[in-house]
Amino acid sequence: MFVRFFKSFRCLRQALLLGMVGFSSTLYAQNCTTKIGAVLPTSVDWGRPIAATAQFAVDLANEAGGVAGCQVEMVLRDTQVDPKVGVDAAKALVDLEKVPVLLGAVSSGVTIPILTSVAVPAGVMEVSCCSSSTKITALAEEGKTKGLWFRTFATSGVQAAVGTMLARDQGYKSVVVLYKNDDWGQDISKLTVRSMKSLGINVTNSIAINDGQASYRAEVTEALKGNPEGIYMALYPKEGISVVREWLSLGGSQKMIMANSMKSDELKDSVGLKYLKNALGTDTASPRVESASKFVEMYKARFNSEPNGPGLANSFDATMIALLAMEAAGPNASGTQIAAQVGKVTDPKGTPITADTAGFKKAKEILNSGGSVMYQGATGNVRFDANGDVSAPAVAWSFTESGTKEERYITLDEVDAFMATMQ
Amino acid sequence: MIGLISYLVFFATVSSILAIAVLGLNLQWGNTGLFNGGVAAFFGAGAYGLILLGGTVQADHIGGFELFYPVALVGGILLSGLIALVVGMLTIRLRRDYLAIATFGVAVAFENLMRNAEWLSGGAQGMRGFERPFEDSIADPFVFNIIFFCFSVLLLLGVYLFLEKLIRSPFGRLLRAIREDEVAAKSLGKAPNRVRLTAFVVGSMIMGLAGGLYATFYAFVSPQDVLPTLTFQIWAMLIVGGSGNNQGGILGAFLIWAAWTASGWMLSKFAPIEAQLYTGTLQYIMIGMIIVGMLLWRPQGLLPEKLIVSQ
Repeated sequence: MFVRFFKSFRCLRQALLLGMVGFSSTLYAQNCTTKIGAVLPTSVDWGRPIAATAQFAVDLANEAGGVAGCQVEMVLRDTQVDPKVGVDAAKALVDLEKVPVLLGAVSSGVTIPILTSVAVPAGVMEVSCCSSSTKITALAEEGKTKGLWFRTFATSGVQAAVGTMLARDQGYKSVVVLYKNDDWGQDISKLTVRSMKSLGINVTNSIAINDGQASYRAEVTEALKGNPEGIYMALYPKEGISVVREWLSLGGSQKMIMANSMKSDELKDSVGLKYLKNALGTDTASPRVESASKFVEMYKARFNSEPNGPGLANSFDATMIALLAMEAAGPNASGTQIAAQVGKVTDPKGTPITADTAGFKKAKEILNSGGSVMYQGATGNVRFDANGDVSAPAVAWSFTESGTKEERYITLDEVDAFMATMQ
Repeated sequence: MIGLISYLVFFATVSSILAIAVLGLNLQWGNTGLFNGGVAAFFGAGAYGLILLGGTVQADHIGGFELFYPVALVGGILLSGLIALVVGMLTIRLRRDYLAIATFGVAVAFENLMRNAEWLSGGAQGMRGFERPFEDSIADPFVFNIIFFCFSVLLLLGVYLFLEKLIRSPFGRLLRAIREDEVAAKSLGKAPNRVRLTAFVVGSMIMGLAGGLYATFYAFVSPQDVLPTLTFQIWAMLIVGGSGNNQGGILGAFLIWAAWTASGWMLSKFAPIEAQLYTGTLQYIMIGMIIVGMLLWRPQGLLPEKLIVSQ
């Protein structure tokens, strides 16, 4: 009886295992796994898709045969957006799971202590999809990141510049700036105000929007003073919805410019497309290469929705670049060795590769024969500077029935030239 | 193996730092009955004070005095004490829940001040530029962490011995007398408000010490470090460990922090692949259940207060 029970239990277990293979369709004949750590805010609504996209990139690499001869397992930990919790999770991943690479975090307030107290001392590479703080650039300039730090999120300079460019091209004479009151928002608003002023656009006010308020009437009323022609918003969708609604209901202008964080279907549906006809957005994505539009297609196929949340393309690229660097560094490489290979997989002179299974396979061949590749990802041709930062081409987008569409493409050279005129 | 030790040292360091803050709260709540709902502010004042005084020059905010480490640490503690003194003088006559609401407001105000006063605190981007003492001369980060762990434990021990002595002293008896019956204490010629204020300031300075150590360890502080969650965490540690008992407070700090972190580790290890994305949410549920379970099963805490600590 007991034996029979035991046998059926074993059957059940096998069935379960088979089920899992079927589900992830990633387990191949290889019997080794290599781990990559992820510290992302999965307990926050917008953090979960970022983690799911990272896992998606890992699955693609596994379909291409894994990295350095092994299947990749992403060990995911939640940061709870609490620096203590995030740092502890990162330390556990480094010490207990022995990961050579950490993906994350999102908030700079979590990313920086992970970098200074875990990643750099342990020689582990850290790639963030979404931290925009200019403080990290300062850290890197002082040599404190030891070449272990990278991010696929362009510092706020690019978006601020493109937002200004749009305001100029639309001929707005005066603009009010509303920003999310966190490190990213403060940064982008400061940069936007500075660049608008340098072009002679009158900034009537810049107003901080705190999270989680029931109403933003007071802030919006304040913003309406001085009768600005247009409004620039660097907000997250949830607060963005309330602010835009109150702004419009109090008679604010429909001439809106939005940062990439507001590229959200929810925002479009809650506000109503007819009020967003004149709304333009900025983003650092560059759908000029095949792999970028392919990312959108692949994403739709996998998740049944457009990749419209903040940081998704960046998370995908961060993961892909980390995996390619792991491949280039070979088996059992340390974080420092892997970080040293990043230049080789984002080499402007290398063979262009697409960000899918076929591209990954091709990259593996080239890297194994000693060549270098140029990764063309969901955010374009990612190229890091000496501080691990990316500059990026940009797009202007607008809302459509099905999501968003690209209005205009601004090349990397255009962005750089425009930014240079403002200094 | 070395990885496990390295992690445990790291874990124990953070736990020790949090335990110091719990001891500060225990002096206030456990011994004096002061409901401090603003732990995060006093912890944060120590952290911000340390980096302000001991950090390197930064372009976007004041500070960068690069003071000798112990001086900077003491400076942070004094800043906590000063804030506690001002807040205390205004609010100390308030009783339990009123004091809790007032101090909670202070903590929220502190966080918002740090978030917005960029010239002072670097704003939401936080404060960096602190050089951890001796980090350059100790090449091996593992050794550095062990030394810093010993330093934190020594300070924890120091605070513990100080408080044990304090609660056994006549002053300690006075604190409990005021906690139990203020009118009776007053009738014996004591000045409860002054004593309560003293306990409030000293407890807050102990929290400031914890904040200073925390900022030393991470070499960074931002408004995200002083959110109300921190106040909740410190309270949960004290209540679960046993309020009124210093050993209980320390035990509670280690246990709650272990539950907080181990739940995340276990979920990432054992939850099925499909559920991995939801482990963050599950972790919150687990932490909540542990705390609620403890309160139902042992409301007096793991190590309850001893009724007689001195004769």
